[in-house]
Amino acid sequence: MPDTDKLPSKVYGWLDERLGLTEIVALAGHKRVPEHKHSFWYYWGGITLFFFIVMCFTGVLLLLYYRPGEEAYESVRMITYEIHFGWLIRSTHSWAANLMVASAFVHMFSTYFMKAYRKPREFLWWSGLGLLSLAMLFGFSGYLLPMDELAFFATKVGLAIPGTIPVVGPWISDLVRGGPEISAYTISRFFALHVVILPALFIPLLMFHLALVQKHGMSIPESEEAKPESERKSIPFFPNFAMKDLAMWLIALNVLALLAAVFPWSLGPAADPLKPAPADIHPEWYFMTSFQILKIFGAWFPGAVGEFLGLASFNLGVVLWAIVPLFDPTSKSGKWGVRATYFGMFMLAAILVTTIWGYAVLPATP
Amino acid sequence: MNYPVWDVPVIGSGLVIAIIAVIHILISHFAIGGGLFLAMTETKALREGRRDWLDRLRKHSKFFLVLTGVYGAMTGVGIWFSIGLANPEGTSTLIHNFVFAWAAEWVVFLVELSLAAAYYYTWGRIPDKTHEKIGWLYAFTSFLTLFIINGILTFKLTPGPEWLALAGTGREAEAFFQAFFNDGFWPSLGLRSLACVSLAGIWSLVFFSRIDRETDGEVKIQLIRWSAKWLLPAFLLMPFFFAWYLLMVPGEHRDLMTLGMSTIGSGAFTQVTRMALITLMTTATIGLVTYFLAWLNPRDFSFGHGVSLLFLALIATAGAEGTREMLRKPFVVSGYLYSNSNRLADVPRKNAEGYLARSPWNPDRGDRPTVRTGERMFQGQCLSCHTVDGYRSMRKLLHGRDGKAIGNILQMLHENAPDSPYRKFMPPLVGTPAEIEALRQYLDILVNGKLTSPIVDPSAKAVPDSVKVDTLAAPAIDTAKKDSAAPAVRDTSRSTAPAAKDSARI
Repeated sequence: MPDTDKLPSKVYGWLDERLGLTEIVALAGHKRVPEHKHSFWYYWGGITLFFFIVMCFTGVLLLLYYRPGEEAYESVRMITYEIHFGWLIRSTHSWAANLMVASAFVHMFSTYFMKAYRKPREFLWWSGLGLLSLAMLFGFSGYLLPMDELAFFATKVGLAIPGTIPVVGPWISDLVRGGPEISAYTISRFFALHVVILPALFIPLLMFHLALVQKHGMSIPESEEAKPESERKSIPFFPNFAMKDLAMWLIALNVLALLAAVFPWSLGPAADPLKPAPADIHPEWYFMTSFQILKIFGAWFPGAVGEFLGLASFNLGVVLWAIVPLFDPTSKSGKWGVRATYFGMFMLAAILVTTIWGYAVLPATP
Repeated sequence: MNYPVWDVPVIGSGLVIAIIAVIHILISHFAIGGGLFLAMTETKALREGRRDWLDRLRKHSKFFLVLTGVYGAMTGVGIWFSIGLANPEGTSTLIHNFVFAWAAEWVVFLVELSLAAAYYYTWGRIPDKTHEKIGWLYAFTSFLTLFIINGILTFKLTPGPEWLALAGTGREAEAFFQAFFNDGFWPSLGLRSLACVSLAGIWSLVFFSRIDRETDGEVKIQLIRWSAKWLLPAFLLMPFFFAWYLLMVPGEHRDLMTLGMSTIGSGAFTQVTRMALITLMTTATIGLVTYFLAWLNPRDFSFGHGVSLLFLALIATAGAEGTREMLRKPFVVSGYLYSNSNRLADVPRKNAEGYLARSPWNPDRGDRPTVRTGERMFQGQCLSCHTVDGYRSMRKLLHGRDGKAIGNILQMLHENAPDSPYRKFMPPLVGTPAEIEALRQYLDILVNGKLTSPIVDPSAKAVPDSVKVDTLAAPAIDTAKKDSAAPAVRDTSRSTAPAAKDSARI
């Protein structure tokens, strides 16, 4: 330890005695992170986490002024147009939500193609998928809360998707909506979901995910695994990797601030259920794939058959995606590894194509 | 509207200037701070006997010479070209007042460029002491270029009462020194000098990051840390100079900055605040990156880190210069010349006799105003800040409004009442009621594809009694019926007044 007479050293010593800081620092220094040409992809989990932290922080600030129920629109109008830097907090929250989902997708595909779902990291893969699903639900529930025209109709479209599930679909939609139509009750339910239920599920699952990362460490791609131990490079987690991770967070923060400042989130006119829906209404970009698949099958097979087939094919893809650690469990079975890679490429292409397609066929807006 | 209009589709002429200017500032401020950096570093190296530094410094001065002498000079001339085309009235005003300052600037600039070349080409060929003196002389002349241009730049926001009292009399040059050493001069000089020193540090970090850490680890550590120190003065003193600068900004302009705290308005209203926030954010990041990556880990400081810093500096510079430019709204020269080239003093006359009355590009000279007049009004008074479909798109801004609503906005802009929400950042719309009605029709067709509300009687003053008002927009309506909105207006103009159209655009 450095000079123990100095105040910082005294404070450190006091804390160390009670919290065991030296052990934690030693542990972090002991842990090593592989360094190779694909190391860049290791940062995306951290970036996703960073955006989540930003959302928690800005979400709490928004809670100070947001009023769910009948006054929802007016309170968001006040946040956007009257309260000092309310627009900035709201824009940051909304942009962070989109960037979080985007970086989670990048993280998911990078771990997929680096085969990080294989033994013994199956639960990392599943917990990650669970977190992404919850993040998308966060996005869906948060989107309605301003209750402007776009939010209202986009939610209406979004809730039509579970409504297509045979037998229980309409019941699920009614339960979420709090009635047959979107109303102040829907906002209350979405609000409870957004600020209580989803965080209560998300945070423990996140802790589980991070604990597993700690336990198993970073996985290395097959190309690195093929190298002899002596040729593999690694750096200490602390301070080297942590410093680089922080630099990435700093970049993420700047991108976020830039987007929030240059493209502040605006607020449309208040929702009016009696008005016809705008022609170009569509869900958020991360739901565009499911939206477009339903549209495609709906066009091929009009009626309930099309809806069912659309939903079935979408869910089949999701299930196959989730169980990939089961049919490609280790690097020993080369055949299944290659198949999994092709499947991953197919899924990536399917998401990109349906999303672009979905936006391309929307009616033009000025 | 005495000059041709420079119509740059999608981005608009203002953004062309902004893009060139931001690159120029990033390089020219390095030319100024870098001069001091070269001189001080050489002096330090000679005094402390660091011969290994001198070798690196020689290579650095080559990079410096090429970057500042070629790209700095080119973009500087680029600014001249673009401001002359985008805002000839404003450029003319500046030239008429500061011709002596600009002449001095060109002389100093030539000396500066010659010294930069001499500095690089005489490394090892003349005694060290003489070479060092050339470095210091270069640093001095490059600072002089900043000193001169700073007076002209700050004049635009704070021209001062002495100059304003003479403005438009032909005797403006009598207030040359008051205009030059205006209220904003010293705080701005302080801010820019600090930016120059910081940019010298950042560019040097980029350059020295390429030193091999394995073979020349020690010299890399020394030079990276030495370069990182150059950012310190800015972080210590900038808040002070910034506060001083803000105190010097006239109250109505300062309000533009605070407006964006509480609202996003319709976006454009609050750009100043948002750009200032970006500058603050990126500047803070530059500080953190420099401390953690350059100061604490100089050996591992990579070229990628350096370029990232430079990129952040680019955004910070763009934000800061954008804020400065936007703060001046709705003027080019505060209290004298509006951003659309109308002089404050000319507004009553133009309202009475017509915006286009003395213009060589009046398409309906001596006749009743038509939609072609509306198009000229748009080109003359709107195009300096707006585009049809791109940056600050007129179609997007007016989307969803019918002809009557457009007319109401134009009326509000024309009246320019003290409580008007547009007054702080938009110039008044000038012209006779007939001209404004012509503009309303032009915009209505542009946005809605056809006239959506009845033609309003403009005023008996503007249209001769013998002419019926309901024929005002006849040519445009006919065409609009056949085609879509944009071609309708353009086709009308092309088919009826090709000469006028061509001559009004570059």
